[in-house]
Amino acid sequence: MSFSYLLKRLAGMLPLLLGVSLILFGVLHLAPGGPLDVYADNPSVTQEALEQMRRAFGLDKPLPVQYLSWVLAFFQGEWGFSIRTAQPVVQEILERLPATLMLSGTAFLVALLVAIPLGVVSATRRYSGVDYAITLLSFLGISMPVFWLALMLQLLLSVQLRLLPSAGMLTIGDGSLPDLLRHLAMPAFILAFASVAGWSRYMRASMVEVMGQDYVRTARAKGVSSRRVIYAHAFRNALIPVVTVVALDFASVLSGAVITETIFAWPGIGRLFIDSMNGRDYPVLMAILMVGSFALIISNLLADLAYAAIDPRIRYA
Amino acid sequence: MKYQQRVGHSVRRTSGTVALSLGILLSGMTLAQQRGGTLTVGLGYDIDTLNVYSTGYLGDVQAAVVEGLVAPDQKARYVPVLATRVPTVANGGIKVAADGKSMVVTYQLRPNVKWSDGQPFTSADVKFTWEAVKNPKFIAESKDGTEDISSIETPTPLTVVVNYKRVAPDFASTLFTFGILPKHTLEGKDLNTDVYNQQPLGTGPFKVTEYRKGQYVILDRNPYYWRKDKAGVQLPYLDRMIFKIIPDSNTMVTQLKSGEVQLAYGVPYSQVSQLDNQPGLNVIKNSVLSWQHLDFNLKGPAPLRDLNVRKAFAYAINKATVSKALGGYPTPIDTVVVPVFSYSNKLVPKYPYDPAKAKALLDAAGYKPGPDGIRVKDGQRLSFNIMVQAGRSTDEDAEQVLIASLKAVGVELKPDNKSGVAFRDARYKGGYDLFYSGWITAADPTYSVFFGSKGVNNGQGYSNPAVDALLNTAESSLDPQVRGKALRDFQTLLMQDLPTIPITSNPSMIAVTDKLGGFVPNPTNMTNFVNTSGWYLKK
Repeated sequence: MSFSYLLKRLAGMLPLLLGVSLILFGVLHLAPGGPLDVYADNPSVTQEALEQMRRAFGLDKPLPVQYLSWVLAFFQGEWGFSIRTAQPVVQEILERLPATLMLSGTAFLVALLVAIPLGVVSATRRYSGVDYAITLLSFLGISMPVFWLALMLQLLLSVQLRLLPSAGMLTIGDGSLPDLLRHLAMPAFILAFASVAGWSRYMRASMVEVMGQDYVRTARAKGVSSRRVIYAHAFRNALIPVVTVVALDFASVLSGAVITETIFAWPGIGRLFIDSMNGRDYPVLMAILMVGSFALIISNLLADLAYAAIDPRIRYA
Repeated sequence: MKYQQRVGHSVRRTSGTVALSLGILLSGMTLAQQRGGTLTVGLGYDIDTLNVYSTGYLGDVQAAVVEGLVAPDQKARYVPVLATRVPTVANGGIKVAADGKSMVVTYQLRPNVKWSDGQPFTSADVKFTWEAVKNPKFIAESKDGTEDISSIETPTPLTVVVNYKRVAPDFASTLFTFGILPKHTLEGKDLNTDVYNQQPLGTGPFKVTEYRKGQYVILDRNPYYWRKDKAGVQLPYLDRMIFKIIPDSNTMVTQLKSGEVQLAYGVPYSQVSQLDNQPGLNVIKNSVLSWQHLDFNLKGPAPLRDLNVRKAFAYAINKATVSKALGGYPTPIDTVVVPVFSYSNKLVPKYPYDPAKAKALLDAAGYKPGPDGIRVKDGQRLSFNIMVQAGRSTDEDAEQVLIASLKAVGVELKPDNKSGVAFRDARYKGGYDLFYSGWITAADPTYSVFFGSKGVNNGQGYSNPAVDALLNTAESSLDPQVRGKALRDFQTLLMQDLPTIPITSNPSMIAVTDKLGGFVPNPTNMTNFVNTSGWYLKK
């Protein structure tokens, strides 16, 4: 892997992001309504007030003009102001980012540490009781709606047993680490549970496939210990397809988890996105989506780099 | 059943004194109110800004922090707050010009009121509020009433003279009720971006200590608050109020059950009984100023322009069944003016549930049942789209009842629900055949916005010059007799024309800890938190 390759990849991102921004801008504005509609619920808002706000936010200009001025400003780091709150967009996002990084990041790490070993165990002990148990759990995880599981856990752990707080990020007047962890436990578990279910299946399938390869059989025939066969020969190769799946999910660490954040009143990017979408807060929406797109592109690049690290046969030039 | 209906219990009030104002006299009971304690309130939406003039929501938090000159009480009647009385023609507070075209409103302000930073509140603040809100640079939703005023004079620090360009009977419902802005901290500032939007400074019982976006707002006692109870104890009783932001209604219910939240309003009807059975919680019905209605798009399918078809709809709908489908909480109504108002007309033309009459009307109009049971005339089937706001489960449930009721008389309704802005767009432009929804209004609603020919919320294309004239009379007269008569006549005409069928008035259900004393729901858009100073927690 050469440095020039990395530069080429990074340079290729710019047109990609531009293209993405055009599509996102178009789609957002295709959605009916606009940012001022939230005021329309109030029967006493006058047309004059709405007109004046439209002009103030530049919503009266033709769409291409609006897009151009947005692009020019955005790539200079001028992300504008939220229409809902009149706060700078950057500030809005930075206020919400730590919460999302904490929740999604924790869930991501936990899921990774659990899913990969589970998949390997499942594959190496195929058709055993352990494999069936893991498979059953995975299918439960994949098919169980997040909101239902969340409600059940809230009922059990918060209402019945009073062990954990049912929602929020901290107890007011107590911002200590143990308090934060108690608030984090349930939403992080639920987010991780869904990922573990998916990833462990991929890991198992990939591992099963690799274990049937000729070179693994050769290694066994040479008398290599089965542990070494699994971890030195099969495991690394089996990781490659899993890396792709995991990398795609890695982008979500930045873009937030809408449902989980809503259910647990967790003040992250996912919630900000939903509120901004409901209010058609274009500047905030565009910024969140662009950050998300950027995260996805970076994740892809990281996945490619990870391939090279895992598989010596892969070389980028 | 612990279920109680506190609204409608009249609270004995001797009008004109101060202490009565806002629910401090509670049912004549004076318990030894405990001072202290923290009340945690759940809010179902994410606050955009704490500025009452620019928020897109009702200002729940703001109502405990910012005060106006007057405020609506639990019966939607104005009572004095920072003013010493509500100006009326009778008490000389309102003087109409000789030509009857303009008026002058004079407020006497309460002495010794301080902002929560200790600075005195004066008439200059009132004048500043008008100037700041009117300023074209300030992007705000609620500028109503600013344009009606030509000038404001402040002859003394406690006297405000407001000159109106027109006779505006609704003068109290906007500018000076929402809240007064502090001149000493806001003068020369950009109100769009000022820190005021996160930390509003008011004269109310509480002040904002901390606001964490998307999480909570902490309000602490305002040490300078002007109000005392009858025993001379400085209000508010509570030390602290915490507003927690919990967007998911199931989570809200969980938090109420686990005791993490002690008060929340707008509880889904389906959850009321389980919360009411929870020890330590009561559910109170708040008859908010709202009415649910089925509107006909008069610019839409031709059959809907036939009065007999509309009457058939009205006779086909059983309002009691609609209420039952929603847990029995809504109250069936016959007119768009909710019963709490004195000018709600009980003698309007009524359309009691009578499917036989509905069928007879449709027969007479020439619509005969076709092979599939749906009525047809000249190849025109009585089949329409009906729209409600998608995701509002109570409206969706009611919609199912409406569909079934009309099918019984041979009319087909197909749901075409829209959400958010798509819904609003359709509502304004009449992008529907039939439309079921509800409106919540201020303490003195301006009905012309719904039913006037040029009303901004009149998407159905209803237009009747006689109605326009009556609403114009009602909205430009200060004489309660004249207004009352015009509004009652308007309701009669509306129910004769039947562009809309009023169905129920849907209350807001409030879950509240049984430890909270002094709590009285408020039915207006000034929210339940318009008077928190008299609330106390029993030990």
